[in-house]
Amino acid sequence: MDGKVIVVTSGKGGVGKTTVTAAIGAAMAMQGKRVAVVDMDIGLRNLDVVMGLENRIVFNIVDVIQGKCKIKQAAVKDRRIDNLFLIPASQSHEKNVIRPENMIWLAGKLRKEFDFTFLDCPAGIEQGFKNSIAAADEAIVVCTPEVSSVRDADRVIGLLYARSIKPRLIINRIVPKMVENGDMLSHEDVLDVLSVDLLGLVVMDDKVVVSTNTGTPLVMQKDSAAGSAFQRIGLRLDGHPDLPIENPMGQKGFWKKLGAKFSRKN
Amino acid sequence: MTFNAILKKLFNKTDTKDVAKKRLKFALIYDKLEVSDDLLKNLQQDLVEVISRYFEIDRDAINLDIRRSEDSSALVFNTPIVSARHCRESTA
Ligand SMILES: Nc1ncnc2c1ncn2[C@@H]1O[C@H](COP(=O)(O)OP(=O)(O)OP(=O)(O)O)[C@@H](O)[C@H]1O
Ligand SMILES: [Mg+2]
Repeated sequence: MDGKVIVVTSGKGGVGKTTVTAAIGAAMAMQGKRVAVVDMDIGLRNLDVVMGLENRIVFNIVDVIQGKCKIKQAAVKDRRIDNLFLIPASQSHEKNVIRPENMIWLAGKLRKEFDFTFLDCPAGIEQGFKNSIAAADEAIVVCTPEVSSVRDADRVIGLLYARSIKPRLIINRIVPKMVENGDMLSHEDVLDVLSVDLLGLVVMDDKVVVSTNTGTPLVMQKDSAAGSAFQRIGLRLDGHPDLPIENPMGQKGFWKKLGAKFSRKN
Repeated sequence: MTFNAILKKLFNKTDTKDVAKKRLKFALIYDKLEVSDDLLKNLQQDLVEVISRYFEIDRDAINLDIRRSEDSSALVFNTPIVSARHCRESTA
């Protein structure tokens, strides 16, 4: 059976697409799937350093598309996690060297080799985005609980529906304390305004930065709240669609209980 | 809820996230009302074609516009009529 190609996109930059791609890719490979993650940001590659594979790149996606090498030669194998492969972006090309039809061709090949392929989209809705969605079967939209990010997510969700790709949402960088204080949109608020299914909730977690410092997969870090959220997202994408989504707000303490009582009266 | 949040509720301060949500909702509605010049041009062409079947109109004096106010948007089409066509011409 053919594998799935899933695009990870957001509209707005810096909300966590690359973090999400690397973490879910690693999580699903650890769950025993054959996984490829593809850096679609031609000219500005990043996924390789986040994954700690930057020193092992020989060929890149443009070489594959221009027929200079086989997919197998360009795919960098992760030595810590079996069945995880990175297809890096080119650092020296213009982003217009890849066209949507090239990606459709490449996706066809990747579906034969891998159970799951994740395309890490560049920010924006230009060439890199168009190339990625041309090839994708499904989409993950990433946003943070901020007005500008949710607005861009709404725009991207509209564009995906227009191409008959059903998006699912990950809300990233949630700060539970700020949500409690009423200074950050809660995930319920975000879902209220976006018409999209929720795939996962990920808290702001220092371990994300620590993991990119050392190039160690986040899902291999001990006690990482974000890491375990990504593991559960991985399970949801593969065979456990109904795995409950954990509320990042956590357990209720004394003040929270008192506050809950209090706000009920209001 | 934290102690700070309780204090905030006590003094009846609005949560900034409620401001954010309201602004977000308006931004999304507003975004969807934005119409491209191409769309307006095509619409004008189609309208002229249909109206010309019934009326002789002055094509140069036509005005098609979108008027926005705080809570609604209207499509405004203005055209002077030169004369009515009395027997409807077949379009076939
Ligand atoms: N859950 C999180 N907790 C803490 N930091 C995070 C989290 N998610 C992402 N970050 C940090 O936010 C920054 C941006 O993340 P990332 O590079 O994944 O975003 P991106 O959407 O891929 O950006 P770009 O649009 O530039 O490609 C990074 O420094 C990353 O470490
Ligand atoms: Mg990125």
